[in-house]
Amino acid sequence: MAAKIHTETMSAWYGPKKAIEDITLDFEEHAVSAIIGPSGCGKSTLIRCLNRMHETIPKARVEGKVLLNGEDIYALPAVTVRRRIGMVFQKANPFPTMSIYENVAAGLRLNGERNRDRLDAAVLESLKQAALWDEVKDSLEKSGASLSGGQQQRLCIARALAVRPEVLLMDEPCAALDPIATAKIEDLIFDLKKDYTVVIVTHNMQQAARVAETTAFMYLGHLIEVGPTRELFERPKETLTESYITGRFG
Amino acid sequence: MPQAAERKALAKGLEKLNENMVTLAELSELAIRKAIDSLTRLDGEVAREVFTIDQEVYGLQLEIEHTCIDLIALHAPVARDLRTITTSLKITTDLDRIGRYAKDLGELTLQFNPSARGTEPELTRIREMADRTIQMVDTAIDAFVKHDAESVRDIMHVDDTVDRMHDENFNELVRRMTEGSLKIETGARYILVNRYLERIADHAVNIGMRVVYMVTGDWLPRERAADRAKRIPK
Amino acid sequence: MTFRFDRDTRRRWKNLAMNVAALFCVVLALIPLGSLLFEASVRGFRSISPSFFTLTTGNGGIGNAIQGTLILIALTSVIALPVGILTGIYLAEYGKNRVGAAIRFFVDVMTQIPSIVVGIFAFSLILELGASGIVDPRLVFSTTTGVIALSTIMIPFVARTSEEALRLVPISTRESALALGIPRYRAILRVVLPSASSAVITGALLGIARVGGETAPLLMTCLGNQFWFGGLDQPCESLPHTIYVFALGPDSALNQAAWGASLILVLMMLGIAIASRVVIRLRSVSG
Repeated sequence: MAAKIHTETMSAWYGPKKAIEDITLDFEEHAVSAIIGPSGCGKSTLIRCLNRMHETIPKARVEGKVLLNGEDIYALPAVTVRRRIGMVFQKANPFPTMSIYENVAAGLRLNGERNRDRLDAAVLESLKQAALWDEVKDSLEKSGASLSGGQQQRLCIARALAVRPEVLLMDEPCAALDPIATAKIEDLIFDLKKDYTVVIVTHNMQQAARVAETTAFMYLGHLIEVGPTRELFERPKETLTESYITGRFG
Repeated sequence: MPQAAERKALAKGLEKLNENMVTLAELSELAIRKAIDSLTRLDGEVAREVFTIDQEVYGLQLEIEHTCIDLIALHAPVARDLRTITTSLKITTDLDRIGRYAKDLGELTLQFNPSARGTEPELTRIREMADRTIQMVDTAIDAFVKHDAESVRDIMHVDDTVDRMHDENFNELVRRMTEGSLKIETGARYILVNRYLERIADHAVNIGMRVVYMVTGDWLPRERAADRAKRIPK
Repeated sequence: MTFRFDRDTRRRWKNLAMNVAALFCVVLALIPLGSLLFEASVRGFRSISPSFFTLTTGNGGIGNAIQGTLILIALTSVIALPVGILTGIYLAEYGKNRVGAAIRFFVDVMTQIPSIVVGIFAFSLILELGASGIVDPRLVFSTTTGVIALSTIMIPFVARTSEEALRLVPISTRESALALGIPRYRAILRVVLPSASSAVITGALLGIARVGGETAPLLMTCLGNQFWFGGLDQPCESLPHTIYVFALGPDSALNQAAWGASLILVLMMLGIAIASRVVIRLRSVSG
């Protein structure tokens, strides 16, 4: 299958500090790729370079190429890139002044969509895709903050999906959730990969093992090893990888 | 700086597993050595010792199985830990089988009339085969204990030799029984011995293959009995 | 009965002592405020009557003073609120660089400038413009100049409160909005600003209250006017000015009227403070 996203010797800085170095990586279409590594290894930085969120931080800089379907995302307007590559963050953050409906519709509305029918349809479909529709269909006008943590995170996923991206980036989406909520989101990811390409950053290796076809291991800003998840967890090639996944350091 | 952890619970579990596996392996080897010894000298005493060992082997194998399942359930092992545990699970079967065949050899020893001692037929080739088999078991178990994949990488070729010896022995036994120089009862029993030795060698090969996987993660291709059957001329 | 003076007891006594001391300080702090409200109410109440509101200051009422204050506040707000809030938005959203730091420092300094200096500034600005013929020299003492002075006070204040309000919005809200592919300015105006709206409104109301009570700059700019409001180019009466003039004058009837005016002014300020509380309550219930 084709590589949906391809990075070529990508490096990123926060001011003078180099956070990731020379990352060359492919993310396969309609598959889930996981990025694992200890705290501070650069995995969040990496994922933020993929939808040009890294540059929203003052004095942040990216070098190297990132191609989406062969197109250089740094040659496109950032706003366009972010519509095609969506993102879900670690802590669920529905917009506080908006209802559930408005939250999901926000991406479309604030980009100019006014047609009520189209918005309704998009909200319905996104909430269904995020496995949240049944739970909120009778209370769409309630505030986003009235939901539980797991539901809020699914709301954020629905919000990201409503703009119909091609890729969904997830930065430790389950870090703040209990095991049941986590399992629900993992099931969701399993279903999403039919229609989307998913890249998930996680510090929970078992989660990477459960959801991803391909796993990449990063350490201190470098890409140490990448391969089919099965192989990485059964017979990793690098000693460093083995030490990390067997829990000998973390 | 990432923090280092020992995973003490898992490490302790793996240590105990290793100890038990080594004991099991050594017991199996002891069983087969004693069995061959008892058969060679038609010594009923030694034969009975083999039965005792086989019992121990069986019990230990069960314990090891439980340990492996517990480690998997509790620690979600990966990579080397995973390979070690799953390999141990499989090797216990082979070691148990070896013990069983040793016991069978012991039973055969007891069936031979002790008065026949001294009148055993010239069966140097069986003895050679027995030596070769014991050597294979020894190599495989040694490789497991030392986690050494190199020494067993070509254990399959030694097995080819043993297979060849098996075929030759079989033919000779049949010939001698046909021409009358060997009593049918005795010959039949030695056919079984021949068979058991060949099977034990097979199990030693299994162990060797799994040790290679455990250490390196490589699966070596294995010739199945069906393929070997093709070699037998019609 | 043995009196245990162990550590635990000592701690409890200390705790009690601290509580009493803190309470005492609170009471001490509230005494001036309380006394002020009390005096203003009691003494000012006597002046309250329908004619008090309908007569001009020339005739002993404060009708035109109230009118003047309201007009000044309204005009100042129209200018200062948009400018202040937009400045606050700039500082919060785009001002993380050196230029932003410089502007922020400048704004901070401006909030500290004594209001009489602002008055002199507005006065001399119009004076210079008048001398060079750009504007009518008589504009020096007019509503317009007064509005200029009050705006100069209100803008930095509102800018700072708006900036603080926007700072309270967590970064994650901004990031989520940007990650949806919304252009930055729209993300700020349609997502971030609404989230901070109650704080921004509160800041605006406080700014209004502040300039409503300013006296010194008005002395040099609006001056005073005994009649009803006459136009932007005319001097303008205001409550603080009226209080000043009435209180220092020899006429005891006017002195009494000064108390009445004070009461009205205090009530206006109180009204604004209550309004801002109500706004917060309303927004947090619906949010």
